[in-house]
Amino acid sequence: MANTNTQVIYGLYDDEEIMLKAIRKANDLHLNIMDVYTPFPVHGLDPLLGLSESRLHIAGFIYGMLGTLTAFLGMTWIFTKDWPVIFGGKPYWSVPAFIPITFELTVLFAAIGMTFTFYIVCGLGPGVTNEMLDDRITDDKFCIAFDESEVNSSEVESFLSSTGASEINKKII
Amino acid sequence: MNQFKFTSQLRIGLIAMMVIGLVSMGLTWYMDDDLHTRFWSNYLHNASFFTGIALMAGFFICICITAWAGWYAVFKRVWEGFSMFLIVGLVLMAVVGVGAYMHLHHLYHWSDPEAVKTDVLLQGKAGFLNSNWYLFGTIIIVGLWYFFAKAIRNLSVREDSETEDNNFKTHRRMRVYAAIFLPVAGFTSAAMIWLWIMSVDAHWYSTLFAWYSGASWFVSMIALTILCLLYLRSKGYFQEVSVEHMHDLGKFLFAFSIFWTYLWFSQYMLIWYGNVGEETMYYRTRFDYYKPLFYTNLVINFVLPFFVLMRNDTKRKFGSLGFVAAVVFFGHWLDYFLMLKPGILHTAMEHMSHGAEHASHHVGFKMGFTMPGFLELGTMIGFLGLFLFVFFTALSKAALLPKNDPYLQESLHHHV
Repeated sequence: MANTNTQVIYGLYDDEEIMLKAIRKANDLHLNIMDVYTPFPVHGLDPLLGLSESRLHIAGFIYGMLGTLTAFLGMTWIFTKDWPVIFGGKPYWSVPAFIPITFELTVLFAAIGMTFTFYIVCGLGPGVTNEMLDDRITDDKFCIAFDESEVNSSEVESFLSSTGASEINKKII
Repeated sequence: MNQFKFTSQLRIGLIAMMVIGLVSMGLTWYMDDDLHTRFWSNYLHNASFFTGIALMAGFFICICITAWAGWYAVFKRVWEGFSMFLIVGLVLMAVVGVGAYMHLHHLYHWSDPEAVKTDVLLQGKAGFLNSNWYLFGTIIIVGLWYFFAKAIRNLSVREDSETEDNNFKTHRRMRVYAAIFLPVAGFTSAAMIWLWIMSVDAHWYSTLFAWYSGASWFVSMIALTILCLLYLRSKGYFQEVSVEHMHDLGKFLFAFSIFWTYLWFSQYMLIWYGNVGEETMYYRTRFDYYKPLFYTNLVINFVLPFFVLMRNDTKRKFGSLGFVAAVVFFGHWLDYFLMLKPGILHTAMEHMSHGAEHASHHVGFKMGFTMPGFLELGTMIGFLGLFLFVFFTALSKAALLPKNDPYLQESLHHHV
């Protein structure tokens, strides 16, 4: 993700339960949360932030179906038109023998397709550096971040300190 | 409501189901051939199917205990209740065993001494495929299953009444029983499946068969769990069982439907590829004379749950989840029908044509064999009524929430 020059004010929490409580309060106060960073997936966070369901799995389904078609049609073409060979007295178009490879290509296409889609959507990739608010959000801190241009800084600061944030910082990313 | 009340209304409903079953079985008996093949095959079909469901419920509790899983604790009384059917299953299957002993039925080719005398293959298998193994093996092994299921159940109920903190001593004992039961159930269930189900095709064998029919039992057990929980929730019980628990049960239904298909196909493909006559005859028969069922089996046990339950929201909506569970439950009942009936019919035809070894597999359309008729459905309803009667009786004897289960809090706050 490119540097967007956003002035961010954020609070760090020591515990995910305290952070979840704080988010509930922020929702009550109608504070516009920019983003939340956690070192691991926190249960119940998505509905609190009002995030819609990820569409990644729809892409995954399409990739999977592409894999199914590639494998099945590919083998059909190869073994009936391009290079027909009789294996073990079976007919050229032996559907049961195609199933394992069809299954494997379905999984392969879905897995690789979803991985790369995820990387592209998240702006990840070789040579990309992302500005982090704080290194410790990948370890043991839970972070609620606000965009300063959208909120009242003093209001946010009092909110963060009253809900048990262990640190309150500002940073431009 | 923490105590299930087995209302007289429900009791009468279940007894009515059992009466339907008895009437169907009586009608089958009188409309049957001389050997009462249809009656006995229906009996074996349903008795083995429901006994297996009870086994899988007890088995899955033990898996959860051994894996230190927590999510199931809130409704574990349902599985405990299912597993209490094992004692009834023991009696039901012992009746088939006594029948084989006394030659009351001709379900199994190997139980006919005349046939074994002239049959090298059956002589070779006679060390395992004989009436002694069938009757006493069934009694000992199903008895063993019941012993463990009952031990887990008793400890689980005892845990409820404990007041002082004894460092989860009861739960630790449950872990010991559960860990011992896992290999016991793993090996003995395969032996029982070979005896009860695979040996109806006495000449044929498949090393994958036990896994395949075991998976069928497992999926049916999960489907029945979903249906029972939906029913109990609608009656005001198990309100703590949330959409999250149902979602996880839906995932098990989805995953094990695929697992079943995987085994079904593995068995099919190896036999198709090997193309050995003794093995392919199993599929040849089903392919030639049971084609509608053969494909229906795959569609409703794989295609339907796969595409319907693939999405997140269909597992979380009780309508779609309950619908798939009902269809899949019926589908695996049909799967057992397809495992048992062709072999039994062939054995009976052979017997009635006085041991002509290569009596044709094809006898035209035969109601109750080529297709399940109303009498088969009635028998199934009867056995289902019996199963649910035992289940609800067990359920009403203990509190629904195991309040001292160490995983109860985790289960109450379960979130996927």
